[in-house]
Amino acid sequence: MKPEDALRAIAAARGDAICVPTMTTAPAWRAIAPEDLSVTCVGFMGGASALGLGLALARPERRVIVFDGDGSLLMQLGSLATIAGARPRNLAHLVFKNGVYHTSGSQEIPGGLIVDFVTMAKGAGYREAYAVRDLGELQRCLPSILGEEGPLLVELWTTLAEQTPMTAPRGAPFHAQVEGLRQALLKPHL
Amino acid sequence: MPESIPASLIVETLRDTFREARAALAAEVTEPPRHDHLGWVLSVPDTHQRTVLAALDKEPAIRVLTLATEDEANAVAAGLWIGGEPCVLMIQHAGLYASVNTLRGVAIDGQVPIFYMIGLLSRETDREPRESRHSMVRYCEPLLDTFGVPHARLEGPDDLRLIGQYFRLSRERRGPAGVLVGMPTA
Ligand SMILES: Cc1ncc(C[n+]2csc(CCOP(=O)(O)OP(=O)(O)O)c2C)c(N)n1
Ligand SMILES: [Mg+2]
Repeated sequence: MKPEDALRAIAAARGDAICVPTMTTAPAWRAIAPEDLSVTCVGFMGGASALGLGLALARPERRVIVFDGDGSLLMQLGSLATIAGARPRNLAHLVFKNGVYHTSGSQEIPGGLIVDFVTMAKGAGYREAYAVRDLGELQRCLPSILGEEGPLLVELWTTLAEQTPMTAPRGAPFHAQVEGLRQALLKPHL
Repeated sequence: MPESIPASLIVETLRDTFREARAALAAEVTEPPRHDHLGWVLSVPDTHQRTVLAALDKEPAIRVLTLATEDEANAVAAGLWIGGEPCVLMIQHAGLYASVNTLRGVAIDGQVPIFYMIGLLSRETDREPRESRHSMVRYCEPLLDTFGVPHARLEGPDDLRLIGQYFRLSRERRGPAGVLVGMPTA
């Protein structure tokens, strides 16, 4: 499945869910859902799921969806246990499994495609975890991704994205995204 | 001579700090988060502040989240900030060294106010931390200086006001600020 197709399907169904892309999902998501209710993990590899956890704990009334990279998740793998321990009911953690560090030049990640994030998430104590191999299956799973009690991990088997953060035009800087989402959620007095 | 600070006083100060932060936010925005608790302590357990962690077990108004790494703690703090929740990172000097890239990427580049309470385990009473025999103690203040992180030392109960002061400073500057806990808490 193409990551862009997966993201388009999610964008069409997400409602007011907060989304946290990172690495190659960042430029794709920017093109599909320009900047609204999203914050990109950029500049602290592996932090997307913890950033999503903080959001989920702060705003339990909202769905939070993390678009993680497989290499990124390996860098902060302990986050699986931290998230499971914190039990955010509103967090869906999607891992875009392409087997490589696409953004840094497509080097194979340790273990390549053999690494099984579904088993790891279950072992860490996620409420639910499963793999999705094609777009039709993703369409069928969207209600679960958007509504099922979390924490939930979904391993999405994807091909390489069309763009990486290195090839695409830069998005808004991280601090501007932080401020934008904060204002969208908290609604400052004018 | 530096002195130990009783855990109960630190917990009380944290309660006040969080209460004040919530009141300030409520005055600024129309949709602050609504929770029963006052705020969060994000902890990768610090030996130096273990009595505070023990006291927090009995403090329902403050939620303690234990994380696997200090990197996670910084990123969670950013998510809480965006959502309007006040928090404190309770870590030790080694945890600061372990997470410098995330401090830089999140608190500095992201302009996220993050307040740190950093325990100086093995700090000697007869010398300045910068002159310590232990590298873990020696590098802490110079590292914070290198990254432009404002910091102060808690050397006894008289310094408790620095907690609120540096917490507010992190907000005013939209970035990291911290206090270093000089002696093991009592
Ligand atoms: C701490 C740190 N080490 C190394 C890098 C270099 N780096 C940038 S992107 C990247 C690969 C990301 O891979 P993955 O998370 O699988 O996402 P993909 O690019 O495949 O979408 C690496 C290793 C970095 N940004 N930060
Ligand atoms: Mg990858």
